Amino acid sequence: MTSKAAAHEPDAATLAAQQSSGATHEVPARRAAPQLGDDHVTVRTQSVADADAVVSIRDLSLWYGSFKALHGVTLNIPRNQVTALIGASGCGKSTLLRTVNRMNDLVPDVSVTGEVEYDGVQLYGADVDPVEVRRRIGMVFQKANPFPKSVYENVAFGPRLTGFKGDMDALVERALRSAALWEEVSDKLRQSGLGLSGGQQQRLCIARALATEPSVLLMDEPTSALDPMATDKIERLIDELKRDYTVVIVTHNMQQAGRVSDRTAFMHLGRLVEEGPTDQIFFNPKHEMTERYVSGHFG
Amino acid sequence: MSERRARGRGAGSTDATDMFDAGGVNARRRARNQRWFMTVVGLPIVLAVGLLAVLLYDVITDSFSWQLVEPRNSGVSFSFSDGFRPFSTWERVVTLDLLAQGQSQDQIDAMLADPEARRVYDARNRVELMLWADGAPLRYVVSSSRDRHLEDYSLAEGIARYDELEAAVEDGQMLYLNPWLDAAFFTKNASRTATMAGLGPALLGSVMLILLVIALSVPLGVGAAIYLEEYAPDNAITRLIELNLNNLAGVPSVVYGILGLSVFVRGIGLGPVILAGALTLSLLVVPVVVIAAREAIRAVPGTLRQAAFGLGATRSQVVFKVVLPNAIAGVTTGVVLAVARALGETAPLLLVGAAAFVPRPPEGILSIFTAVPIQIYAWVSENDIEFTHVASAAIVVLLAILFVLYAFAFWLRRRFRSAT
Repeated sequence: MTSKAAAHEPDAATLAAQQSSGATHEVPARRAAPQLGDDHVTVRTQSVADADAVVSIRDLSLWYGSFKALHGVTLNIPRNQVTALIGASGCGKSTLLRTVNRMNDLVPDVSVTGEVEYDGVQLYGADVDPVEVRRRIGMVFQKANPFPKSVYENVAFGPRLTGFKGDMDALVERALRSAALWEEVSDKLRQSGLGLSGGQQQRLCIARALATEPSVLLMDEPTSALDPMATDKIERLIDELKRDYTVVIVTHNMQQAGRVSDRTAFMHLGRLVEEGPTDQIFFNPKHEMTERYVSGHFG
Repeated sequence: MSERRARGRGAGSTDATDMFDAGGVNARRRARNQRWFMTVVGLPIVLAVGLLAVLLYDVITDSFSWQLVEPRNSGVSFSFSDGFRPFSTWERVVTLDLLAQGQSQDQIDAMLADPEARRVYDARNRVELMLWADGAPLRYVVSSSRDRHLEDYSLAEGIARYDELEAAVEDGQMLYLNPWLDAAFFTKNASRTATMAGLGPALLGSVMLILLVIALSVPLGVGAAIYLEEYAPDNAITRLIELNLNNLAGVPSVVYGILGLSVFVRGIGLGPVILAGALTLSLLVVPVVVIAAREAIRAVPGTLRQAAFGLGATRSQVVFKVVLPNAIAGVTTGVVLAVARALGETAPLLLVGAAAFVPRPPEGILSIFTAVPIQIYAWVSENDIEFTHVASAAIVVLLAILFVLYAFAFWLRRRFRSAT
């Protein structure tokens, strides 16, 4: 399926280019993905009330230099649920994820319009320090990236940044237990984090993010570099985490989105096409493009 | 030509056996090419290693020589515990010997304390400490500096003609293998007499220079590298700075010498002092340090920076807690290599006025100075054939210091790599 998807991608891209430049080529026999204009309105099913949302993204647009990567995205992320962002490569799902903890600020030439509200605070407000935002909204990356330090120091890194004065041992143990890693590493806390297996490293990264005690955890394709066994462990962990945290996960793997998420948002070329309960998106999509994507016709 | 190629290709594709190189013709040709290639590549390596061996052999054998000396001392030898104390060896043994000759302690003290009396004593005598001469641990040999009682044979010549030389030794003379590079060589001051010349002032000058260069260029170079890699916006000015840094690293060192002369020695008016030399060498070293440090910083994976930012680290926390600790091996290696380069530099120091003859060790960063390479250059230019040995001994010292520095850089790399 993956190779098929890859083969389809350039077609859609060339077609988009042709259409925008007004070229009058004959449309290929394969049915092309319909284009979304500026008048596209996100299709919403059982939309999340503002009161239930921990993060509210409103009419968010983002430019990398002159390239517009996000077109007026509006999305409410419900508390203590898992929200999955799906879509083809380059659709802006990772970009959207990174606007939530202002990681995009680190990219030169980024400009943002619109609002992201977290617990009643405008994250892009003038008086908001992006460093503080990142301390409250944790992030786990595509590739496990533990620091070349001991397991203990990896977890303690975040708390140490803020000059944590309490019981560090207890905090480290709590974070490792929350990340379902304590049983495996309790006897090798002083060994290098790089000595762990790939799946353990990714759970170490989750523990490291949890140690700063965030309320929202952003995950950018956390299992894309892991084998099925390790992926299974992480997915079970996400299920556990949802009790205490709000999780937003970007994934390429639609089965994974189906397994772990409560709600799913489907994006295409910078626009939020459709969002709703995961079952609805997968079994009863309302927009034609969502239907085509979840059934494997493109992406 | 094209027709022949076409025919060749046609034959290859139709004849199945030939296609699989059944006769092994192609395999033999490849093997021959491979041998030829290995010869071409291997020859320069063999040549380089051979030349290096010749250099080392030459320098090391030149730092020994057979000397026929006619001592004019008390004839008494002294035990190590009596004579050998670091940094006072010469004076102690001279004192012991003069006492043995019947001079009073007061006379000797007066002579040693008065610089002029000491200078006269030095100038009139060839005074040397000898280990294991005449079957005793330590003795002190004096012969008049103007007489012909001291003869000098190279190591090879001395070994070849040992029996002959041994037989020619007259009463009161002795044949002695002089290791010019002995403990006293490091502490003796400069002298117009080869047997008494030492590396003391030059070594101390070089050490002070290098420490100053490190103190000046490391904060500047590493700071600039951090700024360029982690803070500077990617614009025309930054790119211009980068371009210039790369060019500066390739500027001949003499040019830096001229700059140092006009800016530090004359412009600021420091004069030909250690500080001026160190500032000039720092100019030379900073671009190299910046380039090495930038490479090391760039080699720190971006994912680590992302992880730290994601945990709410400020930019300076990312730099000091993640980037620098992971780049430190490369940075220190670069610094050590750059410093090793500065240690061997001669041209810029000549231009800023490092003196060829400095009788006493420098007292501070504002004294006149000389450095090991300058001293070697001065000794090689001396007329007296014996200075060949002194220069060789100094070259061995310089090479040894460089070897230690490179080994240190290698060890640092290994250590930091195993730590991560």
